[in-house]
Amino acid sequence: MKIKNILIAGSVCFFALVGCTNIDETVYDKYQPDEFYGTPKGADIALASVYAQIGGNWDGVGYAGADLGWYDLNSMCADEQVIPHRNTGDWGTDFARTYQHDWLPTDTMINNTWNWLYKSVFNANLAVNQLELAGADASKIAEAKVLRAFFYYLLIDDFGNIPFYTDNNITVDKIPQANRQVVFDFIVSELKANVDLLPTGKGGELYGRFNKWAGYTLLAKVYLNAGVLTGTPKWAECLAACNVVDGGGFSLHSGAEDAANPLKSKYYELFGDVLPQDETILSIYTTVDVVSRNIFTVRSLYGAHCRALFGYDGWNGTIVPKEFYLKYQDGDVRKNQFLVGQQPGGANYTLDVTSLDDPGAGAQEGVRNIKFYPVAPRGGGGASNDFPIYRYADLVLMMAECNVRLGNAGAAKPFVDAIRTRAGISGLAGNPTLDDIYDERGRELNWEGHRREDMIRFDKFLLPNQFRGLSPEYRKIFPIPTSALNANPALKQNPGY
Amino acid sequence: MKKKSKNTGFLYRVFQNDLKLKLTTLLILVAMFSIRGNTYAQKTKVTLELNNSTIEKVIETIEQKTDFRFIYKLNDIDLDRTVSISVKDQNIYVVLDRIFKGTQTEFKVRDTQIILKKPEIKTHVIEFEKQTVMGTITDENGLPLPGASVFEQGTKNGIITDFDGKFKITVESSQSVIVVTFVGYTEKKFTADQKVINVQLFPDATNLQEIVVVGYGTTARKDVTGAVSSIAAKDMNQGAIVNPLQLISGKAAGVNINQIGSEPGSGPSVRIRGVSSLIGGSDPLVVVDGIQGNLDLLTSIPPTEIESIDILKDASATAIYGSRGAAGVILVTTKSNKNGKSTIEYVGSTSIDFIPKKLNMLSAAEWSAAAASNGVPASSNHGADTDWYGVLTQTGFTQSHTLSFGGGTNKLNYRASLTAISQDGVVINSSNKKYIARVQATQKGLDDKLKLTFNLNNGVETSTRTIADVGRSGQVSNLISQAYLMRPTDPVFDTDGKTYFTDPGLFQYINPYAVAEKTINDSQWDNLFGSLKADLDLAEGLQAGWFGSWRKTNKTTGFYLPVSSTDPGAVRQDGFGNITNERQNEKLMDISLTYKKTFGVHSINALALYEWQNQTYEGNFLQARGFISDVTSYNALQYGDMSKVIYNDIRSYKNDRTLASFVARANYTLLDRYLVTASIRRDGSSVFGANNKWGNFPSASVAWQITKESFMSNQTLINELKLRAGYGVTGNQQGLSPQGSLSLVDGAGSTYFGGSQITNFNISQNPNADLKWETKKQTNLGLDFALLDSRLRGTFDVYTATTDNLLFNYTVPQPPYPKSDIKANVGSIRNEGLEVSLGYDVIRNENTTFTLAGNVSFMRNEVLNLSGSINGIALNTDYVAWGGGTPNMYLIKGQPIGTFNILEHEGVNASGVETVVDRNGDGIIDQGARSPDRVIKGSALPTYTFAFNPSLRYKNFDASLLLRGSGGNKVYNLVNQRSSYLENIGKSNVLDSALDKGIRTSPYGSDIWLEDASFIRLENVTAGYNFVFKDRFLESIRLSLTGNNLFLITDYTGIDPEINLNGSNSDNAYFGGDRGIYPRTRSVAFGVIVKFK
Repeated sequence: MKIKNILIAGSVCFFALVGCTNIDETVYDKYQPDEFYGTPKGADIALASVYAQIGGNWDGVGYAGADLGWYDLNSMCADEQVIPHRNTGDWGTDFARTYQHDWLPTDTMINNTWNWLYKSVFNANLAVNQLELAGADASKIAEAKVLRAFFYYLLIDDFGNIPFYTDNNITVDKIPQANRQVVFDFIVSELKANVDLLPTGKGGELYGRFNKWAGYTLLAKVYLNAGVLTGTPKWAECLAACNVVDGGGFSLHSGAEDAANPLKSKYYELFGDVLPQDETILSIYTTVDVVSRNIFTVRSLYGAHCRALFGYDGWNGTIVPKEFYLKYQDGDVRKNQFLVGQQPGGANYTLDVTSLDDPGAGAQEGVRNIKFYPVAPRGGGGASNDFPIYRYADLVLMMAECNVRLGNAGAAKPFVDAIRTRAGISGLAGNPTLDDIYDERGRELNWEGHRREDMIRFDKFLLPNQFRGLSPEYRKIFPIPTSALNANPALKQNPGY
Repeated sequence: MKKKSKNTGFLYRVFQNDLKLKLTTLLILVAMFSIRGNTYAQKTKVTLELNNSTIEKVIETIEQKTDFRFIYKLNDIDLDRTVSISVKDQNIYVVLDRIFKGTQTEFKVRDTQIILKKPEIKTHVIEFEKQTVMGTITDENGLPLPGASVFEQGTKNGIITDFDGKFKITVESSQSVIVVTFVGYTEKKFTADQKVINVQLFPDATNLQEIVVVGYGTTARKDVTGAVSSIAAKDMNQGAIVNPLQLISGKAAGVNINQIGSEPGSGPSVRIRGVSSLIGGSDPLVVVDGIQGNLDLLTSIPPTEIESIDILKDASATAIYGSRGAAGVILVTTKSNKNGKSTIEYVGSTSIDFIPKKLNMLSAAEWSAAAASNGVPASSNHGADTDWYGVLTQTGFTQSHTLSFGGGTNKLNYRASLTAISQDGVVINSSNKKYIARVQATQKGLDDKLKLTFNLNNGVETSTRTIADVGRSGQVSNLISQAYLMRPTDPVFDTDGKTYFTDPGLFQYINPYAVAEKTINDSQWDNLFGSLKADLDLAEGLQAGWFGSWRKTNKTTGFYLPVSSTDPGAVRQDGFGNITNERQNEKLMDISLTYKKTFGVHSINALALYEWQNQTYEGNFLQARGFISDVTSYNALQYGDMSKVIYNDIRSYKNDRTLASFVARANYTLLDRYLVTASIRRDGSSVFGANNKWGNFPSASVAWQITKESFMSNQTLINELKLRAGYGVTGNQQGLSPQGSLSLVDGAGSTYFGGSQITNFNISQNPNADLKWETKKQTNLGLDFALLDSRLRGTFDVYTATTDNLLFNYTVPQPPYPKSDIKANVGSIRNEGLEVSLGYDVIRNENTTFTLAGNVSFMRNEVLNLSGSINGIALNTDYVAWGGGTPNMYLIKGQPIGTFNILEHEGVNASGVETVVDRNGDGIIDQGARSPDRVIKGSALPTYTFAFNPSLRYKNFDASLLLRGSGGNKVYNLVNQRSSYLENIGKSNVLDSALDKGIRTSPYGSDIWLEDASFIRLENVTAGYNFVFKDRFLESIRLSLTGNNLFLITDYTGIDPEINLNGSNSDNAYFGGDRGIYPRTRSVAFGVIVKFK
């Protein structure tokens, strides 16, 4: 009897413990999406995080990121810059392969670009959704939608037919690979519907953000490249969009001599710390190590030279190909950005580069570039120069191009001459040809991320250069990265790869 | 009060406290005074209806129905005799007469007492010839054996040896046989024909008498139904052991202990029956005296304080641990004081450690020639001749000291110890020091019904480590591997002799000597854990238990990297320092009821248990950069440049995991030969998705002791033969970090928005509310045997284990997911294997034992399926890159995990670029996962492992040897790949072999870097001698000499083919990929054990 009693008592105790089964999870150190984004402040953060995607950083993230991202891919496949393999063993041959139009679908640059752009689209979708749920200002919702259009534009430009979606609550089978035209049409209609809702102010809390003028510049860019993207040019539409921006009170920043400026011209303020509002339409705010980083000068300069100038070693990477450098004439303030010959720190840069890959360039071969002359805070990891995504000079040349394309070269001339005059050189002798505009865009906008697009639009992209022969047509579009194909076998690789 | 004792021994002295004997005493008094008449017996009528019942059952029935109580000596009555009886309303005398008629049993009834006994014919003779024998019992080393049982055969007359192994026993006659037994030793019998007899016992090689620790309890080896390997202290590896796993390396089949390099403080990984999970849930559960923990719990106990290690391998054994049991369980029992004995013991060892092998890199002259012919400018040659590897390495020393002592009485027992372990590594500025203090005490109370066991373990570990990840971009590895990459013509110092040499012409030049000298990387790990166990006897066979444990660790790491270290990160940041604090609290509590009972031929042992566990992890991190002086290093972070503080310089975290579990288990034994065990555990874990918090983990196993069958009784060839079969379901949730199922918003650096810098946030994880445990279903078939007078012993086990609902970070397409992976239960993998352990005593006599022992296991792993769906949408995840960074490694359906699916090396083209075979001839080398140009070339998982472990004992001398190996797998040699491309020769050294290969550069990672990883290693050779003293103070001294890693036979061209195979898939884990390891040392160790009196 005793045993029984104990057993019963024991069992009761035992099963009373069934209450001790609370295993709910407590999250102590993270936010949960619904409660976080579900407030006006949270919705704002969702919008901010889309802009955070534009700022550049390590691991190929950002519009002008540090190494192996969208900027390197789109700049080094063009004619304006490349990092050669050095015969000292420095630098791999991946940049050289990009320059030689020999990229592979497995290349890090291509993979980084894809992942960055699609994460940006996700963030933009999230922002649109959360701002709508929070009943935010129409201008903010419009801003998020314009950002999304911006990223989709970069996607179709690089990759052609791409997965297209606007709602994050979707499964992959509902995201077919959309035709370039379909996405193009979406971008145009989305921009047309939203750019007028954007604020018209400049600077202050709108610095680094899409205002109405940046929105129209994007629309103009999309129209400018419509022929490439869809086969149907839209020069008149482009010109119309440019004209809206032109009414936004922009002007070319002074190109006057300035002894205080390291590059001896006020022109270089356009690539300095806070970019001047007269010319800058959209920029990336940069404080190195905190928000974005600008590595373009430190990556270019030879170690000891950079040390002599700034106290930290340069990476001895990027050079400007001789052919491109020779496009500049003496007296052009824009030539001040290039360094050839004897430099402080014992460096002596040569005009010629003997080899891009095997055995590689000599340590001090190649023209260097200091367009983004480092502003503080700066160091071996980069500098704090802001980066211009769109500026008025670009727009001026776009207006010139549209006029020429529309058979109105006479109307184009003042635009081109304005750019040339500001640079301290004479205007064109006659009306501009397409080649004149192409070269002027090269000289004015080098290292600003536009060159591949321009080369393709002007049919120069496939032409041979010192380090490669004629490229096949399919190289105008990058391959979809292997990792994306692995993750989603429904995707179709671009032809040729 | 009258159950036949199942104890095969005899009536211990302790038995005197038994209620039955007290009753007997009382009864005698009653009988003497004969106060009461036999009225009850006269009046009471008994009705019985029993067929083929044992006497025991009959007695029990009578006792249940009446107030009669039987009193008897166990040996006097044959309780197993069966009778049939049918009586109705009969007087007790009639009943007893029927039961015992024709037997030797006499009975007497005194009121309600019935006394049964044998006729007293012999009594006089016995009185006459009584013989007293005394002597000492010693163990195999000639040391006194306290607590051994000495008893007269066929009686319950016996005693236990005292502290000095002495006994004194009075037996019936000089012809009586005296039996000496001790757990784990072969029993000895002798005739009591002398007054003084000394006996030496030897360990029982069959181990079948051993006590085996199983989950939440212990059982005798003979009753084990699952696959359990047990290693007692005496069988463990010797030498300069710093981690408990080193004790059992090579000792158990199917238990692979993998030490990667000998970095001070780094422990080996262990895999029981292979890798069965893909996200790091393959670490076994560690249970130290009931305290459950991860593998790091092992590093906090001193190896010298381990009594035994039991490894639960199959699911029928591990299912009791439910969702923590899938990867196997390592049960560690620490030493406790032997009942009442007092001991003082010192155990020490010192070893000298060397680097056995270096890679063949170009010498200074060879490099100069090769560089010149590869277009490297002369300015890259700095003209020195530096042995960088030599500069960074030294002879290492390892020491270990333990002082332990204990004592007590029957009621109280304690043991305490203090351990110090110190390692100075073979790479400069790497060391580890560990101090551990332990106390263990057992107290009995409530008339011995309550037993309290208390354990407290307090350790401090300080270590100085070399920097783990350093190097130019693309060449990041551990520090010592950087030494290989240094151009031999670079000097260590500039011409001034003090400034570390750097080459400003090179991007991210690193001087590894400067890094080693200038990096400060100190950590201190405080480790405190304790437990209290209370067992209360509620009634015969029924015990209630409470167990609580708490482990608290606190790790602080201080790191400082000054500009002078030449590390590019440090240079870029103007030097930086940081402090990391990590705290862990692991609490566990369980409440249990156990019931053991034997009913005749039936015996049951049942357990019911509730368990609650919580593990909390929290910590913080502080960092500053831009120091004016390096003097204060990380000790004054506030001296850094506060204007340079950036996001993540200050951060903290906290997360936890809670488990609640209900466990039930029953063992049933019939006739001591048919054994059945069944268990079920219901586990709830907080880390699972909201829809799947709870899981059930059942198991069942059976065993058949064939040798106990009557048909086996006539043969002498087979001493033991046991067949086992088991099936069980276990889970894995430990590989899943907390919060893994939720969608979370996490900080993501800073951004600029609205005119100011603000903290940015992103969705940091793809959610999965269905996330649950992995389910591992395992079937095991085993055979234990002992033949030829137990000289040949062995175990065979075959198993098949399938892990379903495989947890993994599955790749999801981007778009639409913001992150490229999601934690989900999708695929399944299968492990199958065969394990054989054999031991044979070539010589076995009083003076000499020579045993050949070994084990071999074969295993096969296959990914059965990787496709599944998440939220109803098919996910095609076949051909997933896997391996934590190892190139060309994939998970492919139908192949083992870690399969190399790789391009085939073809040659080198005119410009020195490697070419690979275009297998489908389409002119394109497709590098996609499913590329037709790829070919499957084996896996990183070994298909067999083996160990050979002969041992010899001759009188007081012993020697043993452990040869261990594995094979059937490949290693991807990243070190070779990194040190072979001639394009790098301008900035770094290359291997001798690189010149023959002539590969300038390559866009591929081809099979030219894939190598066979089979090896045989002479892991341990030990010789020892025991000096035994008849001294007042000293009991014995043991001296031993151990050689470790004395030779390695392999075709692998890297440093060591034993590289990471733990399968955690964490970043930079490099499963099956050699990206450079801390050298694995060759060592010679001297050991001493002193036992004081």
